[in-house]
Amino acid sequence: MLLPGLGFVALMIGFPLLYTLWLSLQHFSFGSAPRFAGPGNYARLLQDPKFWEGLRVTFALYALSLALQLVAGLYLALLLNRTRLLRGLLRTLLVSPFVMPPVVVGMMWLVILDPSLGIANWLLQTVGIPPALWLASPQWVVPTIAMIDTWQWAPFVALILLAGLQTLPTDVFEAADIDGARGWALLRRVTLPLLAPSIVTAATLRSVDLLRFFDIIYITTQGGPGDASQTLNIYAFKQGFVFLDIGYASALMVTLTAIVIGAVVVLVRLRRATQW
Amino acid sequence: MVTRRLAAGLARLQDGVQIAVVATVLVAPVIWMVTAGFKDSDAVTAMPPQLLFHPTLQNFTTVLTTMPFLRFGLSSLIVAGGSTVLGIVLGVPAAFAVSWNRMHWPALLMLAARMAPGALFLLPWFVMFSAIGAIGSFWVLIVTHAAITLPLALWTMLPFFDALPRELVEAARIDGCSDVAVLWRVVLPLVGPGLAVSVILCFVFAWNYFLFSLVLSDIHSRTLIVAAFNFVGEGVTDWGALMAAATLIALPPVAMTLLGQRWLVAGLTAGAVKG
Repeated sequence: MLLPGLGFVALMIGFPLLYTLWLSLQHFSFGSAPRFAGPGNYARLLQDPKFWEGLRVTFALYALSLALQLVAGLYLALLLNRTRLLRGLLRTLLVSPFVMPPVVVGMMWLVILDPSLGIANWLLQTVGIPPALWLASPQWVVPTIAMIDTWQWAPFVALILLAGLQTLPTDVFEAADIDGARGWALLRRVTLPLLAPSIVTAATLRSVDLLRFFDIIYITTQGGPGDASQTLNIYAFKQGFVFLDIGYASALMVTLTAIVIGAVVVLVRLRRATQW
Repeated sequence: MVTRRLAAGLARLQDGVQIAVVATVLVAPVIWMVTAGFKDSDAVTAMPPQLLFHPTLQNFTTVLTTMPFLRFGLSSLIVAGGSTVLGIVLGVPAAFAVSWNRMHWPALLMLAARMAPGALFLLPWFVMFSAIGAIGSFWVLIVTHAAITLPLALWTMLPFFDALPRELVEAARIDGCSDVAVLWRVVLPLVGPGLAVSVILCFVFAWNYFLFSLVLSDIHSRTLIVAAFNFVGEGVTDWGALMAAATLIALPPVAMTLLGQRWLVAGLTAGAVKG
Protein backbone atom coordinates (compact mmCIF):
# COMPACT_ATOMS: atom_id res chain seq x y z
CA MET A 1 0.00 0.00 0.00
CA LEU A 2 3.01 2.17 0.45
CA LEU A 3 4.31 1.42 -3.02
CA PRO A 4 2.10 3.62 -5.24
CA GLY A 5 2.75 6.64 -3.04
CA LEU A 6 6.48 6.02 -2.81
CA GLY A 7 6.65 5.35 -6.52
CA PHE A 8 5.01 8.67 -7.20
CA VAL A 9 7.39 10.48 -4.85
CA ALA A 10 10.41 8.80 -6.43
CA LEU A 11 9.24 9.75 -9.91
CA MET A 12 7.99 13.29 -9.24
CA ILE A 13 10.31 14.40 -6.43
CA GLY A 14 13.26 12.04 -6.00
CA PHE A 15 14.33 11.87 -9.63
CA PRO A 16 13.81 15.61 -10.31
CA LEU A 17 15.85 16.35 -7.20
CA LEU A 18 18.82 14.39 -8.50
CA TYR A 19 18.27 15.98 -11.89
CA THR A 20 18.47 19.46 -10.32
CA LEU A 21 21.75 18.52 -8.62
CA TRP A 22 23.08 17.37 -11.99
CA LEU A 23 21.77 20.49 -13.75
CA SER A 24 23.49 22.67 -11.17
CA LEU A 25 26.80 21.25 -12.44
CA GLN A 26 26.05 22.18 -16.07
CA HIS A 27 26.28 25.29 -18.17
CA PHE A 28 22.75 25.04 -19.48
CA SER A 29 20.74 27.82 -21.03
CA PHE A 30 17.33 26.50 -21.99
CA GLY A 31 17.28 25.66 -25.70
CA SER A 32 21.00 24.99 -26.04
CA ALA A 33 22.86 21.78 -25.23
CA PRO A 34 24.07 21.40 -21.64
CA ARG A 35 27.83 21.47 -21.12
CA PHE A 36 29.55 20.12 -18.02
CA ALA A 37 30.67 22.94 -15.74
CA GLY A 38 31.77 21.14 -12.60
CA PRO A 39 31.44 23.53 -9.69
CA GLY A 40 31.41 26.48 -12.12
CA ASN A 41 27.89 27.65 -11.23
CA TYR A 42 28.71 27.59 -7.53
CA ALA A 43 31.91 29.56 -8.09
CA ARG A 44 29.92 32.11 -10.09
CA LEU A 45 27.37 32.36 -7.29
CA LEU A 46 30.05 33.25 -4.74
CA GLN A 47 31.16 36.17 -6.92
CA ASP A 48 27.67 37.33 -7.83
CA PRO A 49 26.75 40.46 -5.82
CA LYS A 50 23.07 39.79 -6.57
CA PHE A 51 23.36 36.44 -4.83
CA TRP A 52 24.74 38.07 -1.68
CA GLU A 53 22.14 40.82 -1.87
CA GLY A 54 19.44 38.16 -2.27
CA LEU A 55 20.81 36.30 0.72
CA ARG A 56 20.73 39.50 2.79
CA VAL A 57 17.13 40.27 1.74
CA THR A 58 16.09 36.68 2.45
CA PHE A 59 17.46 36.78 5.98
CA ALA A 60 16.24 40.33 6.70
CA LEU A 61 12.72 39.38 5.65
CA TYR A 62 12.95 36.08 7.51
CA ALA A 63 14.17 37.53 10.79
CA LEU A 64 11.76 40.47 10.79
CA SER A 65 8.70 38.41 9.80
CA LEU A 66 9.44 35.58 12.21
CA ALA A 67 9.98 37.96 15.14
CA LEU A 68 6.76 39.88 14.36
CA GLN A 69 4.72 36.71 13.96
CA LEU A 70 5.96 35.03 17.11
CA VAL A 71 5.34 38.13 19.24
CA ALA A 72 1.92 38.86 17.69
CA GLY A 73 0.99 35.17 17.79
CA LEU A 74 1.96 34.84 21.43
CA TYR A 75 0.02 37.98 22.31
CA LEU A 76 -3.07 36.68 20.50
CA ALA A 77 -2.81 33.22 22.07
CA LEU A 78 -2.50 34.63 25.61
CA LEU A 79 -5.43 36.97 24.99
CA LEU A 80 -7.64 34.18 23.66
CA ASN A 81 -6.61 31.85 26.43
CA ARG A 82 -7.69 34.20 29.20
CA THR A 83 -10.98 35.48 27.83
CA ARG A 84 -14.03 33.68 26.53
CA LEU A 85 -15.44 36.74 24.80
CA LEU A 86 -16.51 35.93 21.24
CA ARG A 87 -14.27 32.87 21.22
CA GLY A 88 -16.07 31.07 18.38
CA LEU A 89 -16.13 34.14 16.14
CA LEU A 90 -12.46 34.89 16.82
CA ARG A 91 -11.41 31.36 15.91
CA THR A 92 -13.15 31.76 12.58
CA LEU A 93 -11.48 35.13 12.04
CA LEU A 94 -8.09 33.63 12.91
CA VAL A 95 -8.42 30.79 10.43
CA SER A 96 -9.51 32.95 7.50
CA PRO A 97 -6.32 34.91 6.61
CA PHE A 98 -4.02 31.96 6.09
CA VAL A 99 -6.37 29.99 3.86
CA MET A 100 -6.84 32.94 1.54
CA PRO A 101 -4.84 32.51 -1.68
CA PRO A 102 -1.56 34.51 -1.46
CA VAL A 103 -2.47 36.09 -4.79
CA VAL A 104 -5.64 37.49 -3.24
CA VAL A 105 -3.80 38.70 -0.14
CA GLY A 106 -1.25 40.41 -2.39
CA MET A 107 -3.94 42.09 -4.53
CA MET A 108 -5.81 43.24 -1.45
CA TRP A 109 -2.78 44.89 0.14
CA LEU A 110 -1.61 46.40 -3.16
CA VAL A 111 -4.86 48.35 -3.29
CA ILE A 112 -4.90 49.23 0.42
CA LEU A 113 -1.25 50.36 0.39
CA ASP A 114 -1.37 52.25 -2.91
CA PRO A 115 0.81 55.35 -2.28
CA SER A 116 -1.57 57.88 -3.81
CA LEU A 117 -5.09 56.43 -3.61
CA GLY A 118 -4.85 53.73 -0.93
CA ILE A 119 -6.76 53.87 2.31
CA ALA A 120 -3.66 53.22 4.44
CA ASN A 121 -2.09 56.57 3.59
CA TRP A 122 -5.43 58.32 4.04
CA LEU A 123 -5.64 56.86 7.56
CA LEU A 124 -2.07 57.95 8.31
CA GLN A 125 -2.73 61.48 7.13
CA THR A 126 -5.94 61.67 9.12
CA VAL A 127 -3.98 61.09 12.32
CA GLY A 128 -1.24 63.47 11.18
CA ILE A 129 1.47 61.06 10.00
CA PRO A 130 3.05 61.76 6.59
CA PRO A 131 2.07 59.21 3.90
CA ALA A 132 4.45 56.37 3.02
CA LEU A 133 5.44 54.73 -0.26
CA TRP A 134 5.09 51.25 1.28
CA LEU A 135 5.84 48.62 -1.38
CA ALA A 136 7.27 51.26 -3.73
CA SER A 137 9.95 52.35 -1.26
CA PRO A 138 13.34 50.57 -1.30
CA GLN A 139 13.74 51.16 2.46
CA TRP A 140 10.23 50.12 3.46
CA VAL A 141 9.43 47.32 1.05
CA VAL A 142 10.88 44.54 3.25
CA PRO A 143 9.14 45.72 6.45
CA THR A 144 5.91 46.16 4.48
CA ILE A 145 6.04 42.61 3.11
CA ALA A 146 6.88 41.35 6.60
CA MET A 147 3.79 43.17 7.87
CA ILE A 148 1.57 41.62 5.18
CA ASP A 149 2.91 38.15 5.94
CA THR A 150 2.39 38.75 9.65
CA TRP A 151 -1.22 39.74 9.02
CA GLN A 152 -1.68 36.45 7.18
CA TRP A 153 0.31 34.08 9.43
CA ALA A 154 0.38 35.44 13.01
CA PRO A 155 -3.13 33.95 13.45
CA PHE A 156 -1.73 30.55 12.48
CA VAL A 157 1.05 30.90 15.06
CA ALA A 158 -1.58 31.98 17.59
CA LEU A 159 -3.67 28.85 17.00
CA ILE A 160 -0.65 26.57 17.51
CA LEU A 161 0.33 28.39 20.71
CA LEU A 162 -3.27 28.42 21.94
CA ALA A 163 -3.44 24.65 21.50
CA GLY A 164 -0.13 24.44 23.41
CA LEU A 165 -1.39 26.68 26.22
CA GLN A 166 -4.49 24.56 26.68
CA THR A 167 -2.47 21.40 27.30
CA LEU A 168 -0.20 22.94 29.96
CA PRO A 169 -0.54 21.37 33.44
CA THR A 170 -2.81 23.53 35.63
CA ASP A 171 -1.14 22.55 38.91
CA VAL A 172 2.02 24.44 37.96
CA PHE A 173 -0.03 27.60 37.49
CA GLU A 174 -1.86 27.04 40.78
CA ALA A 175 1.48 26.70 42.58
CA ALA A 176 2.79 29.82 40.86
CA ASP A 177 -0.35 31.69 41.92
CA ILE A 178 0.12 30.65 45.54
CA ASP A 179 3.74 31.81 45.35
CA GLY A 180 2.45 35.15 44.17
CA ALA A 181 3.73 35.05 40.60
CA ARG A 182 1.82 37.58 38.47
CA GLY A 183 2.01 39.33 35.14
CA TRP A 184 5.44 39.60 33.56
CA ALA A 185 7.20 37.33 36.07
CA LEU A 186 4.60 34.60 35.56
CA LEU A 187 4.93 34.88 31.79
CA ARG A 188 8.72 34.84 31.77
CA ARG A 189 9.39 32.26 34.47
CA VAL A 190 6.48 29.85 34.07
CA THR A 191 4.42 30.22 30.89
CA LEU A 192 7.17 30.78 28.33
CA PRO A 193 9.44 27.91 29.44
CA LEU A 194 6.45 25.54 29.45
CA LEU A 195 5.25 26.78 26.10
CA ALA A 196 8.72 26.70 24.49
CA PRO A 197 8.17 23.44 22.52
CA SER A 198 5.03 24.87 20.87
CA ILE A 199 6.86 28.11 20.11
CA VAL A 200 9.67 26.20 18.42
CA THR A 201 7.12 24.16 16.44
CA ALA A 202 5.48 27.34 15.18
CA ALA A 203 8.89 28.85 14.42
CA THR A 204 9.90 25.76 12.44
CA LEU A 205 6.79 25.80 10.26
CA ARG A 206 7.13 29.52 9.60
CA SER A 207 10.89 29.28 8.96
CA VAL A 208 10.39 26.80 6.15
CA ASP A 209 7.83 29.07 4.48
CA LEU A 210 9.69 32.33 5.10
CA LEU A 211 13.09 31.19 3.83
CA ARG A 212 11.49 30.17 0.52
CA PHE A 213 9.11 33.14 0.51
CA PHE A 214 7.83 33.66 -3.03
CA ASP A 215 4.15 34.25 -3.70
CA ILE A 216 3.35 37.56 -2.09
CA ILE A 217 6.66 39.14 -3.14
CA TYR A 218 6.27 38.05 -6.74
CA ILE A 219 2.69 39.33 -6.85
CA THR A 220 3.27 42.70 -5.21
CA THR A 221 6.79 43.78 -6.24
CA GLN A 222 8.43 40.96 -8.26
CA GLY A 223 11.57 41.70 -6.28
CA GLY A 224 11.51 45.48 -6.68
CA PRO A 225 11.82 48.39 -6.41
CA GLY A 226 15.27 47.77 -7.90
CA ASP A 227 16.32 44.56 -6.16
CA ALA A 228 15.15 45.73 -2.73
CA SER A 229 12.83 42.77 -2.12
CA GLN A 230 14.56 40.19 -4.30
CA THR A 231 14.94 37.13 -2.09
CA LEU A 232 17.06 34.17 -3.20
CA ASN A 233 13.94 32.32 -4.30
CA ILE A 234 12.79 35.24 -6.48
CA TYR A 235 16.30 35.65 -7.92
CA ALA A 236 16.56 31.95 -8.73
CA PHE A 237 13.11 32.01 -10.32
CA LYS A 238 14.07 34.92 -12.56
CA GLN A 239 17.38 33.29 -13.53
CA GLY A 240 15.56 30.08 -14.40
CA PHE A 241 12.29 31.12 -15.98
CA VAL A 242 12.93 34.66 -17.22
CA PHE A 243 16.57 34.40 -18.34
CA LEU A 244 16.28 30.61 -18.87
CA ASP A 245 19.72 30.04 -17.31
CA ILE A 246 18.68 26.66 -15.91
CA GLY A 247 22.14 25.61 -14.71
CA TYR A 248 22.74 28.71 -12.60
CA ALA A 249 19.15 28.74 -11.30
CA SER A 250 19.61 25.11 -10.20
CA ALA A 251 22.76 26.00 -8.27
CA LEU A 252 20.88 28.86 -6.57
CA MET A 253 17.96 26.59 -5.65
CA VAL A 254 20.25 23.87 -4.30
CA THR A 255 21.94 26.49 -2.13
CA LEU A 256 18.61 27.84 -0.86
CA THR A 257 17.42 24.30 -0.09
CA ALA A 258 20.60 23.65 1.89
CA ILE A 259 19.86 26.80 3.92
CA VAL A 260 16.28 25.65 4.61
CA ILE A 261 17.50 22.18 5.67
CA GLY A 262 20.13 23.78 7.91
CA ALA A 263 17.49 25.93 9.61
CA VAL A 264 15.19 22.94 10.14
CA VAL A 265 18.00 20.88 11.65
CA VAL A 266 18.84 23.67 14.10
CA LEU A 267 15.17 24.12 15.05
CA VAL A 268 14.57 20.39 15.53
CA ARG A 269 17.57 20.30 17.91
CA LEU A 270 16.17 23.35 19.68
CA ARG A 271 12.84 21.60 20.07
CA ARG A 272 14.50 18.63 21.80
CA ALA A 273 16.36 21.04 24.08
CA THR A 274 13.15 22.79 25.11
CA GLN A 275 11.26 19.56 25.82
CA TRP A 276 10.24 19.07 29.43
CA MET B 1 -14.59 42.93 48.08
CA VAL B 2 -15.87 45.83 46.03
CA THR B 3 -12.41 46.84 44.81
CA ARG B 4 -11.69 43.28 43.83
CA ARG B 5 -14.84 43.05 41.75
CA LEU B 6 -14.04 46.43 40.27
CA ALA B 7 -10.57 45.22 39.33
CA ALA B 8 -12.00 42.07 37.74
CA GLY B 9 -14.52 44.14 35.79
CA LEU B 10 -11.78 46.46 34.63
CA ALA B 11 -9.65 43.52 33.45
CA ARG B 12 -12.61 42.18 31.50
CA LEU B 13 -13.13 45.56 29.90
CA GLN B 14 -9.45 45.73 28.92
CA ASP B 15 -9.65 42.28 27.34
CA GLY B 16 -12.82 43.29 25.53
CA VAL B 17 -11.14 46.35 24.04
CA GLN B 18 -8.14 44.27 22.94
CA ILE B 19 -10.39 41.64 21.36
CA ALA B 20 -12.20 44.38 19.44
CA VAL B 21 -8.90 45.82 18.16
CA VAL B 22 -7.61 42.38 17.13
CA ALA B 23 -10.85 41.50 15.34
CA THR B 24 -10.75 44.83 13.49
CA VAL B 25 -7.15 44.35 12.32
CA LEU B 26 -7.94 40.85 11.09
CA VAL B 27 -11.19 41.58 9.36
CA ALA B 28 -11.01 45.22 8.18
CA PRO B 29 -8.75 44.57 5.14
CA VAL B 30 -11.03 41.76 3.99
CA ILE B 31 -14.17 43.86 4.44
CA TRP B 32 -12.45 46.64 2.51
CA MET B 33 -11.71 44.20 -0.34
CA VAL B 34 -15.21 42.69 -0.46
CA THR B 35 -17.03 46.03 -0.29
CA ALA B 36 -14.72 47.55 -2.92
CA GLY B 37 -15.98 44.82 -5.25
CA PHE B 38 -19.49 46.23 -4.88
CA LYS B 39 -18.54 49.90 -5.39
CA ASP B 40 -18.53 51.92 -8.58
CA SER B 41 -15.25 53.45 -9.73
CA ASP B 42 -15.79 56.79 -7.95
CA ALA B 43 -16.71 55.20 -4.64
CA VAL B 44 -13.68 52.85 -4.57
CA THR B 45 -11.13 55.65 -4.27
CA ALA B 46 -13.32 58.12 -2.38
CA MET B 47 -11.63 59.32 0.82
CA PRO B 48 -12.93 59.38 3.48
CA PRO B 49 -14.20 55.88 2.62
CA GLN B 50 -17.94 55.72 2.00
CA LEU B 51 -19.42 53.39 4.55
CA LEU B 52 -22.86 53.81 3.02
CA PHE B 53 -22.79 53.42 -0.74
CA HIS B 54 -25.06 52.15 -3.47
CA PRO B 55 -23.91 48.57 -4.06
CA THR B 56 -23.48 47.65 -7.69
CA LEU B 57 -22.88 44.31 -9.40
CA GLN B 58 -21.20 46.06 -12.30
CA ASN B 59 -17.68 44.94 -11.27
CA PHE B 60 -18.71 41.31 -11.17
CA THR B 61 -20.29 41.64 -14.61
CA THR B 62 -17.06 43.21 -15.87
CA VAL B 63 -14.99 40.34 -14.47
CA LEU B 64 -17.26 37.67 -15.90
CA THR B 65 -17.60 39.24 -19.35
CA THR B 66 -14.24 40.86 -20.18
CA MET B 67 -12.16 37.80 -19.42
CA PRO B 68 -12.90 34.07 -19.56
CA PHE B 69 -13.24 33.99 -15.79
CA LEU B 70 -15.42 30.90 -15.72
CA ARG B 71 -13.00 28.96 -17.92
CA PHE B 72 -10.11 29.89 -15.61
CA GLY B 73 -12.32 28.80 -12.73
CA LEU B 74 -12.93 25.46 -14.42
CA SER B 75 -9.15 25.03 -14.89
CA SER B 76 -8.59 25.74 -11.20
CA LEU B 77 -11.29 23.24 -10.32
CA ILE B 78 -9.79 20.54 -12.57
CA VAL B 79 -6.27 21.07 -11.21
CA ALA B 80 -7.22 21.38 -7.53
CA GLY B 81 -9.81 18.61 -7.71
CA GLY B 82 -7.63 16.25 -9.75
CA SER B 83 -4.57 16.69 -7.56
CA THR B 84 -6.70 16.27 -4.43
CA VAL B 85 -8.06 12.94 -5.70
CA LEU B 86 -4.57 11.79 -6.73
CA GLY B 87 -3.02 12.91 -3.44
CA ILE B 88 -5.70 11.15 -1.40
CA VAL B 89 -5.67 7.93 -3.44
CA LEU B 90 -1.88 7.66 -3.09
CA GLY B 91 -1.45 9.28 0.33
CA VAL B 92 -4.12 7.61 2.43
CA PRO B 93 -3.04 3.98 1.85
CA ALA B 94 0.57 5.08 2.33
CA ALA B 95 -0.34 6.74 5.62
CA PHE B 96 -2.12 3.57 6.74
CA ALA B 97 0.90 1.42 5.90
CA VAL B 98 3.26 3.83 7.67
CA SER B 99 1.06 3.94 10.76
CA TRP B 100 0.42 0.18 10.86
CA ASN B 101 4.05 -0.84 10.38
CA ARG B 102 5.31 2.00 12.60
CA MET B 103 7.74 3.12 9.94
CA HIS B 104 9.46 6.47 10.16
CA TRP B 105 11.46 6.98 7.01
CA PRO B 106 8.64 7.22 4.45
CA ALA B 107 6.91 9.85 6.57
CA LEU B 108 10.11 11.82 7.03
CA LEU B 109 10.78 11.59 3.31
CA MET B 110 7.36 13.09 2.60
CA LEU B 111 7.96 15.80 5.20
CA ALA B 112 11.21 16.72 3.47
CA ALA B 113 9.31 16.87 0.18
CA ARG B 114 6.84 19.26 1.78
CA MET B 115 9.62 21.52 3.09
CA ALA B 116 11.71 21.90 -0.05
CA PRO B 117 11.17 25.11 -2.05
CA GLY B 118 8.82 24.50 -4.97
CA ALA B 119 11.22 25.92 -7.56
CA LEU B 120 13.67 23.11 -6.73
CA PHE B 121 11.29 20.67 -8.46
CA LEU B 122 9.93 23.16 -10.93
CA LEU B 123 13.27 23.59 -12.74
CA PRO B 124 13.68 19.91 -13.69
CA TRP B 125 9.94 19.53 -14.30
CA PHE B 126 10.08 22.46 -16.70
CA VAL B 127 12.98 20.89 -18.59
CA MET B 128 11.40 17.42 -18.62
CA PHE B 129 7.88 18.43 -19.58
CA SER B 130 9.14 20.85 -22.23
CA ALA B 131 11.15 18.03 -23.77
CA ILE B 132 7.99 15.96 -24.29
CA GLY B 133 5.90 18.99 -25.24
CA ALA B 134 3.54 18.58 -22.30
CA ILE B 135 3.67 22.10 -20.85
CA GLY B 136 0.15 23.44 -20.44
CA SER B 137 -1.61 20.10 -20.30
CA PHE B 138 -3.93 19.39 -17.40
CA TRP B 139 -2.29 16.09 -16.51
CA VAL B 140 1.03 17.87 -15.93
CA LEU B 141 -0.65 20.42 -13.67
CA ILE B 142 -2.46 17.65 -11.76
CA VAL B 143 0.61 15.47 -11.14
CA THR B 144 2.77 18.45 -10.14
CA HIS B 145 0.19 19.75 -7.68
CA ALA B 146 -0.12 16.22 -6.31
CA ALA B 147 3.47 16.69 -5.11
CA ILE B 148 1.89 19.19 -2.69
CA THR B 149 -1.24 17.22 -1.84
CA LEU B 150 0.30 13.76 -1.35
CA PRO B 151 2.59 14.67 1.60
CA LEU B 152 -0.22 16.77 3.07
CA ALA B 153 -2.68 13.86 2.86
CA LEU B 154 -0.16 11.47 4.40
CA TRP B 155 0.66 13.72 7.35
CA THR B 156 -2.91 14.72 8.14
CA MET B 157 -4.08 11.08 8.09
CA LEU B 158 -1.25 9.70 10.26
CA PRO B 159 -2.55 10.82 13.67
CA PHE B 160 -6.03 9.49 12.83
CA PHE B 161 -4.65 6.06 11.90
CA ASP B 162 -2.32 6.04 14.90
CA ALA B 163 -5.33 6.54 17.20
CA LEU B 164 -7.13 3.41 15.95
CA PRO B 165 -7.00 0.30 18.16
CA ARG B 166 -4.71 -2.29 16.56
CA GLU B 167 -6.96 -5.18 17.63
CA LEU B 168 -9.57 -3.98 15.18
CA VAL B 169 -7.31 -4.40 12.18
CA GLU B 170 -5.85 -7.66 13.46
CA ALA B 171 -9.33 -9.11 13.91
CA ALA B 172 -10.25 -8.17 10.35
CA ARG B 173 -7.01 -9.76 9.09
CA ILE B 174 -7.77 -13.00 10.90
CA ASP B 175 -11.21 -13.00 9.31
CA GLY B 176 -9.38 -13.17 5.99
CA CYS B 177 -9.64 -9.59 4.75
CA SER B 178 -6.97 -8.43 2.31
CA ASP B 179 -5.04 -5.26 3.14
CA VAL B 180 -7.09 -3.23 0.71
CA ALA B 181 -10.33 -4.60 2.12
CA VAL B 182 -9.22 -3.84 5.68
CA LEU B 183 -8.51 -0.25 4.72
CA TRP B 184 -11.65 0.19 2.64
CA ARG B 185 -14.25 -1.63 4.78
CA VAL B 186 -12.91 -1.42 8.33
CA VAL B 187 -10.53 1.49 8.73
CA LEU B 188 -11.78 4.26 6.44
CA PRO B 189 -15.31 4.37 7.88
CA LEU B 190 -13.72 5.09 11.26
CA VAL B 191 -11.53 8.00 10.14
CA GLY B 192 -14.21 9.99 8.37
CA PRO B 193 -13.33 13.31 10.04
CA GLY B 194 -9.65 12.83 9.22
CA LEU B 195 -10.48 12.12 5.62
CA ALA B 196 -12.63 15.25 5.47
CA VAL B 197 -9.82 17.45 6.81
CA SER B 198 -7.39 15.83 4.43
CA VAL B 199 -9.59 16.50 1.41
CA ILE B 200 -10.25 20.10 2.48
CA LEU B 201 -6.58 20.88 3.11
CA CYS B 202 -5.44 19.28 -0.15
CA PHE B 203 -8.03 21.20 -2.14
CA VAL B 204 -7.31 24.53 -0.45
CA PHE B 205 -3.54 24.25 -0.85
CA ALA B 206 -3.75 23.10 -4.47
CA TRP B 207 -6.27 25.86 -5.29
CA ASN B 208 -4.06 28.52 -3.71
CA TYR B 209 -0.72 27.30 -5.08
CA PHE B 210 0.74 29.83 -7.46
CA LEU B 211 4.24 28.85 -8.58
CA PHE B 212 3.59 25.65 -10.56
CA SER B 213 0.67 26.99 -12.61
CA LEU B 214 2.60 30.20 -13.24
CA VAL B 215 5.21 28.27 -15.20
CA LEU B 216 3.47 25.08 -16.34
CA SER B 217 0.06 26.31 -17.50
CA ASP B 218 -0.72 27.86 -20.88
CA ILE B 219 -3.60 29.92 -22.22
CA HIS B 220 -5.90 26.87 -22.30
CA SER B 221 -5.18 25.60 -18.80
CA ARG B 222 -4.54 28.89 -16.98
CA THR B 223 -5.85 28.78 -13.45
CA LEU B 224 -7.70 31.61 -11.70
CA ILE B 225 -4.69 32.35 -9.50
CA VAL B 226 -2.40 32.93 -12.48
CA ALA B 227 -5.10 34.83 -14.36
CA ALA B 228 -5.51 37.13 -11.36
CA PHE B 229 -1.76 37.68 -11.23
CA ASN B 230 -1.72 38.65 -14.92
CA PHE B 231 -4.65 40.96 -14.21
CA VAL B 232 -2.45 42.78 -11.66
CA GLY B 233 0.62 42.67 -13.92
CA GLU B 234 -1.22 44.36 -16.78
CA GLY B 235 -1.54 47.36 -14.51
CA VAL B 236 -5.31 47.21 -14.33
CA THR B 237 -6.48 50.33 -12.54
CA ASP B 238 -10.09 49.22 -12.30
CA TRP B 239 -9.89 48.53 -8.58
CA GLY B 240 -13.53 47.56 -8.27
CA ALA B 241 -13.14 44.77 -10.81
CA LEU B 242 -9.81 43.74 -9.29
CA MET B 243 -11.35 43.37 -5.83
CA ALA B 244 -14.44 41.63 -7.22
CA ALA B 245 -12.16 39.05 -8.88
CA ALA B 246 -10.10 38.67 -5.69
CA THR B 247 -13.25 38.07 -3.66
CA LEU B 248 -14.51 35.39 -6.05
CA ILE B 249 -11.13 33.60 -6.05
CA ALA B 250 -10.89 33.58 -2.27
CA LEU B 251 -14.42 32.28 -1.81
CA PRO B 252 -13.94 28.51 -2.44
CA PRO B 253 -10.95 27.95 -0.09
CA VAL B 254 -12.36 30.17 2.68
CA ALA B 255 -15.79 28.55 2.49
CA MET B 256 -14.33 25.02 2.55
CA THR B 257 -12.11 25.85 5.50
CA LEU B 258 -14.92 27.26 7.57
CA LEU B 259 -16.71 23.94 7.12
CA GLY B 260 -13.76 22.00 8.52
CA GLN B 261 -12.00 24.51 10.74
CA ARG B 262 -12.47 22.50 13.92
CA TRP B 263 -9.85 19.93 12.84
CA LEU B 264 -7.80 22.14 10.63
CA VAL B 265 -5.02 23.34 12.89
CA ALA B 266 -4.37 19.87 14.27
CA GLY B 267 -4.03 18.67 10.69
CA LEU B 268 -1.64 21.40 9.63
CA THR B 269 0.69 21.05 12.58
CA ALA B 270 0.70 17.24 12.71
CA GLY B 271 3.92 17.06 10.70
CA ALA B 272 5.88 19.40 12.88
CA VAL B 273 4.80 17.90 16.19
CA LYS B 274 5.61 14.34 15.24
CA GLY B 275 8.66 15.06 13.10
